[in-house]
Amino acid sequence: MVDLSVKIGSLKLKNPVLTASGTFGYGRDYDDYLNIDQLGGIVTKTITLKPREGNPMPRIAETPAGMLNSIGLSNVGVDAYLAEKLPKLKKIDTAVIANVAGETLEEYGKIVRLIQAHPRIDGIEINISCPNVNQGGIAFGTDPEIIAQLVRIVRQETEKPIIIKLTPNVTDISEVALAAQESGADAVSCMNTLRGMGIDIDTKRPLLHNIVGGLSGPAVKPVALAKVYDTVQALRIPVIGIGGIMTWKDAVEFFLAGATAIQVGTLNFVDPSGSIKIINGLKSYCMEKQIDKITDLIGGMIESAKF
Amino acid sequence: MSWLNVEDKIAGCKWIPELSSNQGLLYKQIVKGYSVTHTCEILEQQPITDNIYRMRIKAGEIVRSARPGQFVNIRITSGIDPLLRRPFSIHRIDSDKGEIVLLYRVIGRGTELMSKMPPGNSVDIMGPLGNGFNIQFPFDHAVIVAGGMGSAPVFFLMDELRKSDKKITLLWGAREGVEIFQENELRDQGIDLQIATENSSKGYSGFVTDLLEIYLSKHKDGHACSGFVCGPECMIKKVQEIILSCDFQWQASLEERMACGVGVCLGCAILNRKKGLQMVCKEGPVFNLREIQFNG
Repeated sequence: MVDLSVKIGSLKLKNPVLTASGTFGYGRDYDDYLNIDQLGGIVTKTITLKPREGNPMPRIAETPAGMLNSIGLSNVGVDAYLAEKLPKLKKIDTAVIANVAGETLEEYGKIVRLIQAHPRIDGIEINISCPNVNQGGIAFGTDPEIIAQLVRIVRQETEKPIIIKLTPNVTDISEVALAAQESGADAVSCMNTLRGMGIDIDTKRPLLHNIVGGLSGPAVKPVALAKVYDTVQALRIPVIGIGGIMTWKDAVEFFLAGATAIQVGTLNFVDPSGSIKIINGLKSYCMEKQIDKITDLIGGMIESAKF
Repeated sequence: MSWLNVEDKIAGCKWIPELSSNQGLLYKQIVKGYSVTHTCEILEQQPITDNIYRMRIKAGEIVRSARPGQFVNIRITSGIDPLLRRPFSIHRIDSDKGEIVLLYRVIGRGTELMSKMPPGNSVDIMGPLGNGFNIQFPFDHAVIVAGGMGSAPVFFLMDELRKSDKKITLLWGAREGVEIFQENELRDQGIDLQIATENSSKGYSGFVTDLLEIYLSKHKDGHACSGFVCGPECMIKKVQEIILSCDFQWQASLEERMACGVGVCLGCAILNRKKGLQMVCKEGPVFNLREIQFNG
């Protein structure tokens, strides 16, 4: 039997496969398509203090092997999240990580304070990397000074694991990742979407109303893998790999690059049970390679391309 | 029972071959009722014009619960490009044979690839998705406005309406006459068919919305009538203006870019005047026309 369990700070996951924020709703939307209990965990849609409608349409577009989105953190708000969404997760047997965002540092502190004591929340992922909002989001994710302040603020509010979701849209990701670690984060997740855009050449109009959005899907996987590798080199806390993972083979690459766990995002839209296929694929790979524990795989890349 | 599909086995799902036709197999999942996705065989690809196709698919599971106005989300390739599924409304079903028919126009790379899939190939289908037209209320006469590919779900709708002996008026608009098909069959079925084409090649010369204005001016008494509209947004917007003085209910089926098809990605939002933000894929694609807030 392969031991797939991993630890993110004090949080033990039965396996290292989570569903990424914004691609799995508030947890129950894909109930018809997979057994959620088989997942290592779910990260729920980013919530903010007040409900948000998000950006005007069109706010998604397809690009080669990828998709652009500018949803703009459309969400039900923290009150409805606590009153309506979390109770529906009461009976599921998997880790629940809430994802939060604010427009100011104080708002981040406030929203973490409001949700952190809820028994169903096992960890909190802090979104400082959304490219589609004017306030907060990515503006906080690119400045190591602000990240340090923000992490100190949310750290004061909770003992539960705090995961900082990083943006790739920086010159040096290890710099921002270090700021998160040194200020008390338990882990980082790497990465949010890459800034991207597309133009319809017949109408000469942008594909998205917001013009620029976030690129995700298999097109970004090599970029994500390099960001994970860079981050892992700089940190001692766990790194959760995200970016274009479509198969268990992609997942294995992220573990070899040093990720402790992974999140599946865009794949959920294409194949709602894809995350479960990845878990089973990882199991088979470990058995075949005679790996007893998935943790033995982490950072296992041999740093020489020559055989 | 046999394990036939490694991918599905990996997904932790048990499948049994439900029925077999030629080389294609339809699988039915029997554990815990996950609907998962259906692997369905293409039976026929029939070109209607140089870019409109009719595709017949063996899909017993989908047929069993499909209602007019619902759609399916099709994965064109098992690879990564084109990445996202493509939504298509169900054009018709054959309950006895367990088949669905899609009517689609080639407008991009996804539909281009789809049009080249030969019969015998399989497609990965999610569905039926969304909420269809509501026809379970008392009315006698359906007034239907269809524009362009909006004609696709209207055929399924009319098939169901005829089962309960509703009188049907179909106002059908297209760019050109060749996109209008089965006129004789429709008229033989007793449907009051009126055609408008933008290039004047068939029927009224102009927009189908003009036909609606003319129709409503001649039929002031909307008693026991119910309206249905499906087509491009600009047409539906115009219909919304025209029916302001109309005293019966109108349902509109909207088209929107979507990714997931089940209300998760939030990519296909519309503003409902009464209910706020709603997703075309999940709360729609059929809405009360008067409640839709169009931009600008």
